[in-house]
Amino acid sequence: MREADEQYFETLETQLEAAFDVAERAKERGGDPKPEVEIPTARDMADRVENILGIDGVAERVRELEGQMSREEAALELVEDFVEGTVGDYDSREGKVEGAVRTAVALLTEGVVAAPIEGIDRVELLENDDGTEFINVYYAGPIRSAGGTAQALSVLVADYARALLGIDQYKAREEEIGRYAEEIDLYDKDTGLQYSPKEKETKFIAEHMPIMLDGEATGDEEVSGYRDLERVDSNSPRGGMCLVLAEGIALKAPKIQRYTRNLDEVDWPWLQDLIDGTIGKDEADEGDSAEDANGDDAGEGADDDGGDEADEQAGPPRVEPADKYLRDLIAGRPVFSHPSKSGGFRLRYGRSRNHGFATAGVHPATMHLVDDFLATGTQIKTERPGKAAGVVPVDTIEGPTVRLANGDVRRIDDAEEALAVRNGVEKILDLGEYLVNYGEFVENNHPLAPASYTVEWWEQDLAAAGADVQAMQDSPHIDLADPSAEEAIEWATEYDAPLHPKYTYLWHDVSIEQVCALADAVEDAQVAQADGAYADPEMDGTAGDAHSDDGALVLPRSDAVQQTLEHLLIGHTQDEETITVTDWVPLVRTLGFSRSLERDWTREDLSEHARTYGESESLDAIGVAEDAEREDGQNAIKAINEVAPFQVRERAPTRIGNRMGRPEKSERRDLSPAVHTLSPIGEAGGAQRDVAKATKHADDMSDTPGQVEVEVARRRCPDCGTETHQANCAECSGTTEPVYVCPDCEAEVERDESGRAECGRCETLASPTQYKVLDLQEAYRDALQNVGERETAFEQLKAVKGLTSEEKVPEPMEKGILRAKHDVSAFKDGTVRYDMTDLPVTAVRASELDVSAERLRGLGYTEDIHGDPLTHEDQLVELKVQDIVLSDGAAEHMLQTARFVDDLLEQYYGLERFYEFDDREDLVGELVFGMAPHTSAATVGRVVGFTSAAVGYAHPYFHAAKRRNCFHPDTRLWYEDENDDWEYGTIEELVESRLDDPQEDDFGTLVQELDGDLTVSSLGENGPCRQPVDAVSKHPAPDHLVEVAVGDRTLRVTPDHTMLRAGPDGIEEVPASDLAAGDDLPAYDGGETTTMTARGEASTAATDGAAPTDTVEAVEYVESDVDHVYCLTVADTHRVAVEGTYVGQCDGDEDCVMLLMDGLLNFSKSYLPNQRGGQMDAPLVMSSRIDPSEIDDEAHNMDIMDAYPREFYEATREMKDPTEVEDVMKIAEETLGTDREYTEFRHTHDTANIAAGPDLSAYKTLGSMEDKMDAQLEISRKLRAVVESDVAERIIEYHFLPDLIGNLRAFSRQEVRCLDCGESFRRAPLTGDCRECGGRVNLTVHEGSVNKYIDTAIRVADEFGARDYTKQRLKILERKIESVFENDHNKQSGIADFM
Amino acid sequence: MTGQSTGTGEYSDFVAVFRDRYEKLAGKLRGRVNHRPTDAIENMGGGSDAALIGMVSDIRSTASGHWLVELEDTNGTFPCLVMKDRPIADLVQQLLMDEVIAVEGTLADDAGILFVDSLYFPDVPRTHNPSTADRHVQAALISDVHVGSQEFMEDAWHRFTDWLHTPEAEHVEYLLIAGDMVEGVGIYPEQDKELDIIDIYDQYRAFSEYLKEVPADMEIRMIPGNHDAVRLAEPQPGFDEELRDIMSAHDAQVHSNPSLVTVEGVTVLMYHGVSLDEVIAELPDEEASYEEPHRAMYQLLKKRHVAPQYGGHTRLAPEDRDYLVMEEVPDVFHTGHVHKLGWGEYHNVVALNSGCWQAQTEFQKSVNIDPDAGFAPILDLDTLEMTVRKFS
Repeated sequence: MREADEQYFETLETQLEAAFDVAERAKERGGDPKPEVEIPTARDMADRVENILGIDGVAERVRELEGQMSREEAALELVEDFVEGTVGDYDSREGKVEGAVRTAVALLTEGVVAAPIEGIDRVELLENDDGTEFINVYYAGPIRSAGGTAQALSVLVADYARALLGIDQYKAREEEIGRYAEEIDLYDKDTGLQYSPKEKETKFIAEHMPIMLDGEATGDEEVSGYRDLERVDSNSPRGGMCLVLAEGIALKAPKIQRYTRNLDEVDWPWLQDLIDGTIGKDEADEGDSAEDANGDDAGEGADDDGGDEADEQAGPPRVEPADKYLRDLIAGRPVFSHPSKSGGFRLRYGRSRNHGFATAGVHPATMHLVDDFLATGTQIKTERPGKAAGVVPVDTIEGPTVRLANGDVRRIDDAEEALAVRNGVEKILDLGEYLVNYGEFVENNHPLAPASYTVEWWEQDLAAAGADVQAMQDSPHIDLADPSAEEAIEWATEYDAPLHPKYTYLWHDVSIEQVCALADAVEDAQVAQADGAYADPEMDGTAGDAHSDDGALVLPRSDAVQQTLEHLLIGHTQDEETITVTDWVPLVRTLGFSRSLERDWTREDLSEHARTYGESESLDAIGVAEDAEREDGQNAIKAINEVAPFQVRERAPTRIGNRMGRPEKSERRDLSPAVHTLSPIGEAGGAQRDVAKATKHADDMSDTPGQVEVEVARRRCPDCGTETHQANCAECSGTTEPVYVCPDCEAEVERDESGRAECGRCETLASPTQYKVLDLQEAYRDALQNVGERETAFEQLKAVKGLTSEEKVPEPMEKGILRAKHDVSAFKDGTVRYDMTDLPVTAVRASELDVSAERLRGLGYTEDIHGDPLTHEDQLVELKVQDIVLSDGAAEHMLQTARFVDDLLEQYYGLERFYEFDDREDLVGELVFGMAPHTSAATVGRVVGFTSAAVGYAHPYFHAAKRRNCFHPDTRLWYEDENDDWEYGTIEELVESRLDDPQEDDFGTLVQELDGDLTVSSLGENGPCRQPVDAVSKHPAPDHLVEVAVGDRTLRVTPDHTMLRAGPDGIEEVPASDLAAGDDLPAYDGGETTTMTARGEASTAATDGAAPTDTVEAVEYVESDVDHVYCLTVADTHRVAVEGTYVGQCDGDEDCVMLLMDGLLNFSKSYLPNQRGGQMDAPLVMSSRIDPSEIDDEAHNMDIMDAYPREFYEATREMKDPTEVEDVMKIAEETLGTDREYTEFRHTHDTANIAAGPDLSAYKTLGSMEDKMDAQLEISRKLRAVVESDVAERIIEYHFLPDLIGNLRAFSRQEVRCLDCGESFRRAPLTGDCRECGGRVNLTVHEGSVNKYIDTAIRVADEFGARDYTKQRLKILERKIESVFENDHNKQSGIADFM
Repeated sequence: MTGQSTGTGEYSDFVAVFRDRYEKLAGKLRGRVNHRPTDAIENMGGGSDAALIGMVSDIRSTASGHWLVELEDTNGTFPCLVMKDRPIADLVQQLLMDEVIAVEGTLADDAGILFVDSLYFPDVPRTHNPSTADRHVQAALISDVHVGSQEFMEDAWHRFTDWLHTPEAEHVEYLLIAGDMVEGVGIYPEQDKELDIIDIYDQYRAFSEYLKEVPADMEIRMIPGNHDAVRLAEPQPGFDEELRDIMSAHDAQVHSNPSLVTVEGVTVLMYHGVSLDEVIAELPDEEASYEEPHRAMYQLLKKRHVAPQYGGHTRLAPEDRDYLVMEEVPDVFHTGHVHKLGWGEYHNVVALNSGCWQAQTEFQKSVNIDPDAGFAPILDLDTLEMTVRKFS
């Protein structure tokens, strides 16, 4: 490590320690569940592993073993330590096994996920039928986040420990073997497995497994045979076990074998049979593999075709169009280009400084011209190389080309100009260039696509041709990037080099016919001088050279010529008679004319090959099919090279299709409803959870106001014995401890070493909570007094209904009062958070960060990227790895948080204020925590500046350090539904027809489905609203994901995905698998209130007393190969609330930041929900410094060069694999472990400002869903690369129809719910009233949510030319809906024949 | 109920339809047990005998393997426990949600739960004596024609209609079609790729043409199925005017799904059969399977309801009463939908699931379903004897 780097980290760590000291002092004063800071610091992976496990000594041992061996081997080595007792403090044999297994999983997951804690419930010692003992490992759902290898290895580790401890093997009973097979099959069907073992395979594994795999039930479906087994607790599938057996053992057998071979004690000879695939393979399998093989062959065949360019018979090198990204198109998110269609984005290679992984550089002018639908950070779904990318502004690439209303065509290379001409744009002929870095192809293992011909390539061609490029670069008279026509032609002829890209037109996008017609037009053309006179070209001296006073070429206007020029991207002006082209000499020279407009060729002179060359677009491309038959000769590049006096390269052979994915995000994260304090007030606070209201609440006249019974902790002060529910003792200020009491015999129970408290007599689990009547009036008054605040200091103080944590320790209300005062809210763990879309940046300018150069120098930025001293704001400096750029919104929120923290220190803890900020500049240099979704480790970051873009810019390594790839959409997920995944069974039962979608889990994804009677409880509040979920869509898509589309946003979750649900005790976190239709999900109104139609609104009048939540209407599960398989569309008629706040997407590039001191002071594990997944997304440990070797691999694939070599560009034309050029390329991986690992991240392209273009996507600024959709269709009309009827068709097919069909289906099998207590029922009670409270019951899916799209869908189908088939489906659907909701007696009656 | 749909999709409609179901089916059970309302049972002394008629609102197995069945009447719910070692435990396997049953048993000591000794279904009386025609006359009972599908078996259909013109078929005077006249549009994603006729109205026009091949003097009765262009939620009203006008061949009579139609004095309950999928999925194989679809029909007869379970496959459109209850015992129960042929007798009621006229589809191939296509069951209305003719 360089000294500068060491210094940097020491600065951070010193700062961190100082903050830590303050926080420790504050914590000692009591009031918090623990008297110390609860986020341990980890300097490296070993620390994280130790901290996450809480087992002392692990880190030290891991560090010893690291470097000597692989992590897998280290995990096995640690087994011996556990068995011998040198690591861990376990007395029992099962304890030792448990410690070893958890450690192995933690080690393999780098200590950043909760799988080691939550994925393994316990290890037990049980008895075989022959009286010997065996080991049972009890898995839970979150083991999923460990991934197959770690899962498999956990079994091996358990077995190794077992062998060392001399415990016998597990001998499965016949019925248990059958149970495994049935259960895995059931789980696969319900939830989906990445790998579905055949029944024989499962049985084979079960028979041979030396330890028992067990686990907790994760679904509601039950097995039909093999029920009620003695040694299996549940009749439902045990998700964790299924994953370990199928995706771990069965799928990773070869990996396990590698380790079993090295262990004498462990022998799993049967693995070989698994690996050989001789188990359970039947003919069908062979058929499959044969097909696969064919598929591969076909793929290779295509490659070959491409590679044969040298062969005269072949067409041009082209990648195959791919339309996967268009699937599941939803209303409001425009398509920018259909697959590989001319007029779409042109692929240019390079890495801009704000580029890294999963990003795409787009010109800011393009962003504006697509009506601002693209902004910095907007996610797009793309054709290649990956599936999705975040948009970043790059202004050193070419902008879009447009035709204005007067027919003029020009390229717009300036954002200001784009805004100026935007209203006059009639057609966007070309979207401009699209910058993708080499690393992105490496990361996605995508063959290189042919490169655009650009200046950086041409310069190398020129040098290769013998020119002294260095000298030319140094010459003040030559601009290599922007030469005059004269220079360009001169270089091309003198050096026999290809024509400069500036004058190279898109000849490959026009046909031979068009070229010939253009040539004919040129023959009839005249040259006009600046004074308007026509010059006689014959008069004008020597042919061939261009001059600055050449005047303009005036061609007779015809539609064909105009179109040809447009496709060539040649700027021109026109009137009714003529088309005028300036700077025309390279054009006519390329066309084989002299500058005196004489040509010496005719069509017959062209070779056969040139005349029949190529198809400009694939025959089956979208929107082309209906055209007349395509003929040969669609690509004129060969012909042009035959007639031009110099070489002309293909200008833009690769076009990249894409569409909008999710909008960028920069929002505070609030629970919904947002709460200020995690202290319980029951129902007394009303739907708003208003503490003041609760203090006055009384159930009836005889009750004392403010007396509320809630479930809270049962604790006792160890010093004075005082009993309380608070974390600290009111008498002596000591920290209290939980008291566990058996619910049956009411005896106190001690916890054992694993933390379980089981009553010895009753064998039931003891509980640390009690029901207690709290005097809220007193508590509120005391709290106000303690912090010296008055009620007028804030508008409203909101608390939670009940606590979801295991011990139910309430947070001190004082903290809430101060949060309310500063308008920040508490997340479930007590922290204040702000979410931002991640974007990478490796070099920054002080000017764009709104900080001074001096300030940056103060942070250690002494030199710019060229090594010059940093003196002014425009210099580029290399960003340090843990420095981050906050969005304006985040900065504002951090300031509020800082004021809250200062007040908290001063008024509550009685310490000095820590931050004392005046304005946001003071934030620069302060530390924050960054966290990615689904992880349990925070990374310390330092604020370096601010951006107006709604994103969080940081070093790619910082993002990667936080991130862990979860299982993605690609992994087959479960559902047939939504993103992902959950236990579908449950969902299915609940809402049979709802869909969920996507990806992984956990967090915060809110699926909102509304039952229709949900209402918007209050607009004034953070706008939690209740809305009906519109629809569930099921799409024939690829992965198993659960996608929940809420309104016009789509959430994808995996089955394990944690969702927030409004339960009887407030917001609870549940795995998505437990959600059912009719559940209320807390909704957050992110301001996207939309109204599609007036209908349906009526049913959503607010009901008092119900939580501000959305109900899930419909969820469906689908298996799809694609990312999004199913969508739930929450009715966006109403507000689409949910998503914004809570969703942690798995493909997650939305991370959150927390202010350091807030995290240190307020985070407590004791607040975390007691559900599986509750510990995800909580900073169980923090990394104080990033070790590049320990971060997510994707960052290692980022290229760090300042120019790509010519070999690279040439390799793209052969569509080579990215690895074939790795020798000439440099990626970050190469510097790992060296001195340079934190520096020298070079880029090939600069950009003036990392926040160029619109600050917010139009998607976020447009109001209603219908407005968005209209804008989407409007753009589709304007873009040459988009086929508007296809867009309309897809919106109907993937959004409206699934919504309509899903909701209609949901309606006729919906649950009902009590408006008063929220209880839901599978079917209407016969009494009509709530079975629980006697309250009013209503439907969860109403007419309004069923038919809300029908009129819009029919209109879109008509206006945009959908197929008759689609129109007919809509018409029939409309009738079906009417048939359900219309009373025949109220309309003209038909024939009344009747059963 | 065609043209008589009164539901407007309100909560009260849902309540009304389930109450009507309860009342009608409870009426059939009242004679067998001495029903006490759930709220009255709650107040009875522990240990006393009690009986209850209720709609099944929940079925769970307990940790020890017993069955906890929650029954609901118009006053509330009451938990009933069926011990796993009792012979009636097998009956629990046959229960579906939302059917109505009666139980008798003993209350627990705290009167909080009923230990069930016996359990009754509304059922068809064993003594049921079916009506028959008073002359020799026959009816052809078919379903699932699926015109418009690429798999529609046109040749088999021609052979069938040709046969109807032969002397052998001279007594076949009725043609009953239990739904799915056409393949429909938008039934599943990308269905258009497997359609022979893309336009839904053209499908019905084509169907009508095929119908014209039937002898002109035959009486035709038909109900819609899930592929037809009417609402999917049950009860399904008959085809609307537009479709009737298209299918005008031979003056076919259109009924709702389900419908009780009478031909020559024989009552035939025609129901398309969507609920069969669920019955087969929920019940043990020995009680109901795709190989023996008529056995699943026996279950429906026993429950006296064509689609008891709410919230699953079957969709319900709430009307002012439950049209899906079998108030009267039919003489013949005719369904289709599952594309399998099967028939038998249950308490003297003929249960028939007719096959289909659509060859194996890609989807069926993928899930290994081999349909019985191209069969025409012929029923003697005077003897209720069944003959099956094969035309494929």
